[in-house]
Amino acid sequence: MKHKIQLPKIDEYNFPLIYKHLSNFIKIEVLKAGVNSVVLGLSGGIDSAAACFLAVNALGKNNVTALIMPYKSSSESSMEDALKVVNMLGISRYIVDISKQINEYFKNETAANDNIGIKVRKGNKMARERMSILYDYSYKLNSLVLGTSNKSELLLGYGTLFGDMASALNPIGDIYKTQIYQLAEHLGIPKSIITKPPSADLWEGQSDETELGFTYETADGIMYLLIDKMYKPEVVASLGYDEVLVNEIYDKIKKSQYKRRMPLIAKISERTINIDFRYLRDWA
Amino acid sequence: MKKNNSIKICLAQTNPKVGDLKKNIENHVEIISGAKVQGANLVVFPELSLTGYFLKDSVYDLGININTDESEVLTDIYEKTKDLDIAVIAGFVEKDADFNFYNSSCCISKGMLLNVHRKVYLPTYGMFEELRYFKPGDGFGVFDLNGVKVSVLTCEDAWHLSASYIAVNKGAHIIIVNSASPARGITAGLNKFNSMNMWEELLSVIAFYYKSYVIYVNRVGFEDGIGFSGGSCVFNPSGGMESKLDYLEEGEILADVNLNLLNNERFKTPLIRDENLNLTVKELENIINNHK
Repeated sequence: MKHKIQLPKIDEYNFPLIYKHLSNFIKIEVLKAGVNSVVLGLSGGIDSAAACFLAVNALGKNNVTALIMPYKSSSESSMEDALKVVNMLGISRYIVDISKQINEYFKNETAANDNIGIKVRKGNKMARERMSILYDYSYKLNSLVLGTSNKSELLLGYGTLFGDMASALNPIGDIYKTQIYQLAEHLGIPKSIITKPPSADLWEGQSDETELGFTYETADGIMYLLIDKMYKPEVVASLGYDEVLVNEIYDKIKKSQYKRRMPLIAKISERTINIDFRYLRDWA
Repeated sequence: MKKNNSIKICLAQTNPKVGDLKKNIENHVEIISGAKVQGANLVVFPELSLTGYFLKDSVYDLGININTDESEVLTDIYEKTKDLDIAVIAGFVEKDADFNFYNSSCCISKGMLLNVHRKVYLPTYGMFEELRYFKPGDGFGVFDLNGVKVSVLTCEDAWHLSASYIAVNKGAHIIIVNSASPARGITAGLNKFNSMNMWEELLSVIAFYYKSYVIYVNRVGFEDGIGFSGGSCVFNPSGGMESKLDYLEEGEILADVNLNLLNNERFKTPLIRDENLNLTVKELENIINNHK
């Protein structure tokens, strides 16, 4: 690209302040809730690893608990990478295999296993099962659930509503996937986690970028202009980006807006929750 | 004029607890006491330092009519400034007799209310929604603090260069900018958030071209995921930065504002003396008339 307005890189100059800011965010918002610890799902991927590193810096290793929740089709390297993070940081972890309950639920389904409908349903079910376990541990350990969705997947809607998108607070939700890689380098996350292709790991050999049909790097460059810079799609296209792709991405963002908002409430009264009953979550 | 023609100002970079007047007042009083020990004549707190910033509907619960007995809630601050012979500038939600609310900053000196600045430019775009709740102030005042002329601009006020233009031409020596500025925007190769960089460039320009001391006091902490950047500092009339607090951390720093240096700068580069107010007024009238 010839033009200068591009997704900013997280580098050795801006990293220290970003690191401090995100750590402060976790620390301050967790303490405000009246607890001092978090629990998070560790998948072996780069996003949850980054969130985990930030949480340990913010709260100390004794206040971060990782849940590793494999399904039978989860890749073995995912488990290894998750344990690598656990061991590096010295945090406590639980391993909860979710295969049994997922299989039990789907046992009477007649559709073939490679049917895309059933694959997506199983994937969603797994994501919500993990959420349900995380919230159970949240209660059990008197901890908040730390979110691990990045800005790219939140904007594209590439996540499961009330599944992996559910959390109490998310330190990396305003950071694009491309920038997560840069952040990870500075955080010292193991190379094997940084270099493997991004995958939701909901079925064998799944790849985010194959499924989406574009790379995060391309999408992030476009989304930075559409969202952060608020350029209209035609303006982004005029800067040299593929117009079809720009529109496709903009469409995905629009169509997944519901995933980023609380459920709609029908207004009947004079003062309605989240419509004209307006307070910070930090109100109390 | 103070001894040695200088005034010692404590920049108090606090993390207000949203909606908790009592706790914030306690914190103010504690910091004022500490600043006195250090020799401060004035303690400056951030915008809405007594209430927190993103107040939404709780503006309604926090408004104080400072000219009635509602101001009794601030008694501890009044008394502390009286006992310690010190002045303080703090931010609060002001309510007037007609029940309008303002984003205001009061200057309380030696137990007396010396000045109230009602924020004029209320950002209502992006993440900001001040005009939804507050009524804009109607001017930029200059007041005398122990012989030093002071003007208070609150956050967005300073982004309008007309505000500091008015303040210095009204006689301000020191421009206090209190703010609640969220940290935002990153750039490769830059070791601070973009918002911090913009502030520092702006304040340096105001200090240099309006030949004034600029005292910037910004808050820290988070409100619903939005983090405030801190980095409170002083710019001298040469445009140089002095007495800087860290970004993102609570803290206080004492700045020595020396009016002899202001005297020197204004003699060497008499931009304020040479300002042609009549020409500006004439041009402004033209602009207003031609746009109507």
